[in-house]
Amino acid sequence: MSLKRRDFLKLSTAAACLGVTSTAHGMEDFKGWPDRYGMLTDTTLCIGANCRRCEEACKKTNKRSLEGLNLSDNSVFDHQRRTDPNSYTVVNRFANREDPENPIYVKKQCMHCNEPACASACLVRAFTKTPEGPVLYNKDVCIGCRYCMLACPFRMPTYDYFDAFSPEVRKCTMCHDRIIEGKIPACADVCPKEAITFGKRSDLILLAREKIRHDPDRYQQHIYGEEEVGGTSWLYLAGTDFTNIGFANNLGSTPYPEFTRGFLSAVPIVLTVWPVMLTGFWKFSKARERQEAGPETDTTVDDEKGWGDGYRHE
Amino acid sequence: MNRNLGNWCISVLLLLLITYMPCFGQSQDRSVPDATQPPCSDCHVCETPTKSNPCLEMCARTGAMPADLHKPSEGPGVRVIDELSDLYAPVDFNHKLHAEMVEMGEGCSVCHHYSPPGKFPPCNDCHTDESTEPQTLRKPGLKGAYHRQCMGCHREWSHDTKCIICHLPTNGYDLSGAPLDSTDILGISHPVITVPDKKVWTTPYQAGPVVTFHHQEHIDLFELRCVDCHKHENCSYCHDLRKEYSPRKTDEEIHAICNDCHAQDECGKCHGTKEKPAFVHAADGSWALNRFHAELSCRACHPTGKKISKLDHQCTNCHGGWNQKNFRHAVTGLQLDEIHAELECSDCHVDSAFDAPPDCSGCHDDGRSPKDAPPGHYVQAASK
Repeated sequence: MSLKRRDFLKLSTAAACLGVTSTAHGMEDFKGWPDRYGMLTDTTLCIGANCRRCEEACKKTNKRSLEGLNLSDNSVFDHQRRTDPNSYTVVNRFANREDPENPIYVKKQCMHCNEPACASACLVRAFTKTPEGPVLYNKDVCIGCRYCMLACPFRMPTYDYFDAFSPEVRKCTMCHDRIIEGKIPACADVCPKEAITFGKRSDLILLAREKIRHDPDRYQQHIYGEEEVGGTSWLYLAGTDFTNIGFANNLGSTPYPEFTRGFLSAVPIVLTVWPVMLTGFWKFSKARERQEAGPETDTTVDDEKGWGDGYRHE
Repeated sequence: MNRNLGNWCISVLLLLLITYMPCFGQSQDRSVPDATQPPCSDCHVCETPTKSNPCLEMCARTGAMPADLHKPSEGPGVRVIDELSDLYAPVDFNHKLHAEMVEMGEGCSVCHHYSPPGKFPPCNDCHTDESTEPQTLRKPGLKGAYHRQCMGCHREWSHDTKCIICHLPTNGYDLSGAPLDSTDILGISHPVITVPDKKVWTTPYQAGPVVTFHHQEHIDLFELRCVDCHKHENCSYCHDLRKEYSPRKTDEEIHAICNDCHAQDECGKCHGTKEKPAFVHAADGSWALNRFHAELSCRACHPTGKKISKLDHQCTNCHGGWNQKNFRHAVTGLQLDEIHAELECSDCHVDSAFDAPPDCSGCHDDGRSPKDAPPGHYVQAASK
């Protein structure tokens, strides 16, 4: 078999490329679970002050401590709060430039990404994007590396730093068990103004568009979470630019796992194809050298120059 | 021949024109919609709505709604909202009051955003408790519908979102202790109103044209609530920017308000030739209030009736329970010595006339007075 060096290179590169592209292609075919649920928060409806019923309902549902929760204490809005192991959701206040006397309140929690960065960063697959939509955490396999917390573009997962023996990563579960029971998530259930709507994500996007179309003065022409980081299950409508109410506008529409997918899918190829390929190159060049040397050169000369040399002298 | 042909052609053309003229007119008329009816697109989003698929607007809020053709006075008065009363006491929603308010603005359709012809459905006709389910997510549930309607305006208006504004607390659910008087303007929901200290009017009454009304004083002295005088005023009386619903009160109406309390008084009580001074207890009540009494509300001493009646000067009117044992004499500034402390009150204060100077002559016949021979020693009077 007379395979030229150039041809071999071409072939092997093509094979390698084929391997990579076919893997990536296989991922893109899956557009997410078709009937997955989502939540739509209409920040123009949230009243925030004296309410925070969602925070209370969330704590009760997730059996978190209600200690220190005083719903009529509006001083909590004086600074921006983040989710913590005891509060899977928090309502923050933002200044309203158009109407300073009526500030904007925004409820924040895990966004339940279509392609969650936390799941992709996890070494032990402790995070699962369920067919119902919520991204769930499995404490039984978690090793506590907290890569998920670093990976999350919204900085939502939190860690039981004060639990020395069985710390868990904690975040909103979108009330997965309530959804399975046929109920709606606790926060959406309790919200007096029904500022949080639960439904199929596809329906919610239509609803959000309808709302924008119907009241273009009230809403920004943007559904936050529709495209961000490849789409999230939790969607937001706002009456002001999303950057004014604490939403990053630089996250892009590429799912975060996509950034590492090329590299990660290449790892098996590098580990399996490359050794074979490089050995092949080596053998090929050896054979060629042998051919070029012609019949007058003895194989022993070749061996003396090569690494087999040592073998012979032993 | 040619001329005949020309004439014939012209007459045929004229005939055609006359025949088809009304048709042009008709076809033009058909394209103009009936001005008395709102355009279909106000409610229906598709070209041809059918009974099975009326394709109604999700939340029809624009255009002429049938509700605009009616007056708020035709609506119900107080309506009790108790569908969701598991957590809260029923809400007494004063429909009439709110209807009067919307008269200033966009009319009934502010709340009745969807009113099919001939019908003014209450919220719970369309919005049901079950509609929080995913299949009807385009329509808020009853809880959401109520709160969106109420809190949108209330928040904008009073910047307050306390539940207590509408909900009375039920047992076991703390709605944060807010003052409760849903019957007065300033009770629970209205922001503080700055009232004038006094108002001075010049009237056509010649014997006493100047009427001085000490507004703040009436509130303080008589503990009047806004609605005690501002009886038949609705929100638009103050808030109507177009001034269409705030007609001037007639003389009879104005006098009727004052006559609630001043029916027996003479005209000169209010009318005078010059501005009347404010009430001073020393002048009108004949004695200046001391440090203890000045802190009391008027009703503490004058508890009965709208009219404040004069009390006689007997301290025992109010302080009947004091005797030699339980009265700490030092609060008056005089600490009695041991001998005098043993005496009965009436031994010095003859006939329990405590406002009169004490009399020493019962025991001492040297004509002494407490000033030159005090029955103890003077101390600093208690401030409280």
